[in-house]
Amino acid sequence: MTESPLWPLVVYFFAVIALVLIILGLSSLVGPRSTMQRATIEPFESGVVGIGSSQIPISVEFYLIAMFFVIFDLETVYIFAWAVAFFELGLFGYLAISVFILILVVALIYEWKSGALDWGVKKRVGLRE
Amino acid sequence: MPDSVFIYVIIFGTLFGSIGGAAVLVWFERRLLGFWQDRLGPNRVGPFGIGLAFADIIKLFTKEDWVPPFADKFVFIFAPTAIMMAMLLGFAVVPYGPGLYVVDLNIALLFFLGMTSLAVYSVLLGGLASRNKFALLGGLRSAAQMVSYEVFMGLSLMGVVMLSGSFSLVDIVNAQQDVWFVFSQFLGFLVFTIAGIAESHRLPFDLPEAEHELVAGFHTEYSGMKFGMFMVGEYLGVILISSMIATIFFGGWLGPDFLPPIFWFGLKSFLLVCFFVLLRAAIPRPRYDQLMSFGWKIMLPLTLVNLMVTGAVVLWWGY
Amino acid sequence: MTIELILFYLAATVSLVSTILALTRYNAAHALIYLIISLLASAIIFYLVGAPFAAVLEIVIYAGAIMVLFVFVVMILNLGSRGDHQEHEWLNPRMWLMPALLCLVLFLEIVYVLSFTSEGLSGVVVAPKTVGIKLFGPYVLAVEIASMLLLAGLVGAYHLGRRYLSDARGGDQ
Repeated sequence: MTESPLWPLVVYFFAVIALVLIILGLSSLVGPRSTMQRATIEPFESGVVGIGSSQIPISVEFYLIAMFFVIFDLETVYIFAWAVAFFELGLFGYLAISVFILILVVALIYEWKSGALDWGVKKRVGLRE
Repeated sequence: MPDSVFIYVIIFGTLFGSIGGAAVLVWFERRLLGFWQDRLGPNRVGPFGIGLAFADIIKLFTKEDWVPPFADKFVFIFAPTAIMMAMLLGFAVVPYGPGLYVVDLNIALLFFLGMTSLAVYSVLLGGLASRNKFALLGGLRSAAQMVSYEVFMGLSLMGVVMLSGSFSLVDIVNAQQDVWFVFSQFLGFLVFTIAGIAESHRLPFDLPEAEHELVAGFHTEYSGMKFGMFMVGEYLGVILISSMIATIFFGGWLGPDFLPPIFWFGLKSFLLVCFFVLLRAAIPRPRYDQLMSFGWKIMLPLTLVNLMVTGAVVLWWGY
Repeated sequence: MTIELILFYLAATVSLVSTILALTRYNAAHALIYLIISLLASAIIFYLVGAPFAAVLEIVIYAGAIMVLFVFVVMILNLGSRGDHQEHEWLNPRMWLMPALLCLVLFLEIVYVLSFTSEGLSGVVVAPKTVGIKLFGPYVLAVEIASMLLLAGLVGAYHLGRRYLSDARGGDQ
């Protein structure tokens, strides 16, 4: 495996940061200033006068999805490590990852059956079933 | 030292090429959509209307640099820069031809996945900082969608990694000398493409910005160049995903010898970008719960099946 | 060699400064941004000391997944200025002085121990393939146990959230 030198990435990284800063700076220099009016200082709510603050209750599904994401992402990392050494590991590695993926599938089936992957509405007030 | 001049040409070529590509794509998409919808699209400014790309940039720059007084100023400004930086950094590992890349890491593929996963912040923080109900809901939805599809986006590429035995994109391209991975890893290609569309939240997966429900989603409160950066980030995402699909599944720069390798890479990426635009013209939006369960209940099991079958087949007949 | 050294000190400085900023911010979103930057900087350090796979996992897992969960939670709790106020009260010296002192003791201990092992960095780059071979070779049992642990985590996470889920679904449990 040939490793190319790292410094082009470093130069590229700083060039990207510089570009983003230039864009931000230029737009604040070029643009017109402060047209503060009555309507510009309140959050947009489709033209209606806003009610309450933006601190609204959020459904718990989002928490579940984020949690599942973290856990499945961790599992994928093990699969990454296996996939790259697939030929070296051979049959033993394949069996090991089979067990690993089996447990993953068990988790997935559990989530599926218990309805954790269903998004909201269906069961809420007995619309169906 | 011509060698180091050459690498600077690549570095800044990548940077301005991708930014310029994104700017032109804004015009190109509208033009192409116009043709598919039996109208002309923007054709007034310059030849074929291409001047519109520059007109758009000038317009965005001369808009007011507005931060709403109720917003969280620091996060509000940080959010749009995050997606742009993440997407631009993703281009660093794309090989345009033999020896034509900013850097060839032995973890290039994972670097790309890492950068796309960082793009989620832009959406999340943009929604959070706006202190607006629509923005908050749009940001949450968008982020939930992106992280759900990210799980198997990485997994769908592992079939390719298994066959080529490396995370380096240069090695992956070289492993496709005989046959492109799109044939041996068709399922992986399919899943990656769908996940890629969802990652760059393009139609048909642009639910976070579904106008009839959420106004403009997480960038409701954004305007001027900060909105422009979200926009550029999205189009950079389209180009990045297209060039990644071209590299990983369609043999990257490989092609008949009569034209230079970079031409083949460009052609493949260009066709894939056109395909992305065609999808926008052709497919309606799904409902949000359909989108989520499609990801978790169909795509994730599919990728796992793909992995196991690929492994079994290669072990049985391979070596 | 020099460019690596410069990068190392740069990344280390960024990491330290952003961690301190993350600790002292009152606003949760600001603190999280600094924490993400700190994690990215430590990913660069991992890469420079010859662990590219660990570096990229730092980005994918810590910066790209766990921090996303944190931001999600901040958004779901959505405390606004109330959270800032609470954090402001928690950040008085009475609250952090004792833990900080204990951590200082541990830190001095580590410095003391490390001063004996004069062995510097080996400079060996551990390729991702080596990690895979080791992980599914001698440490394969740990991998399987990890998958069990993750299964338990998944079930636990669901059951924590389920309470509120069944409420929202009209109490069909």
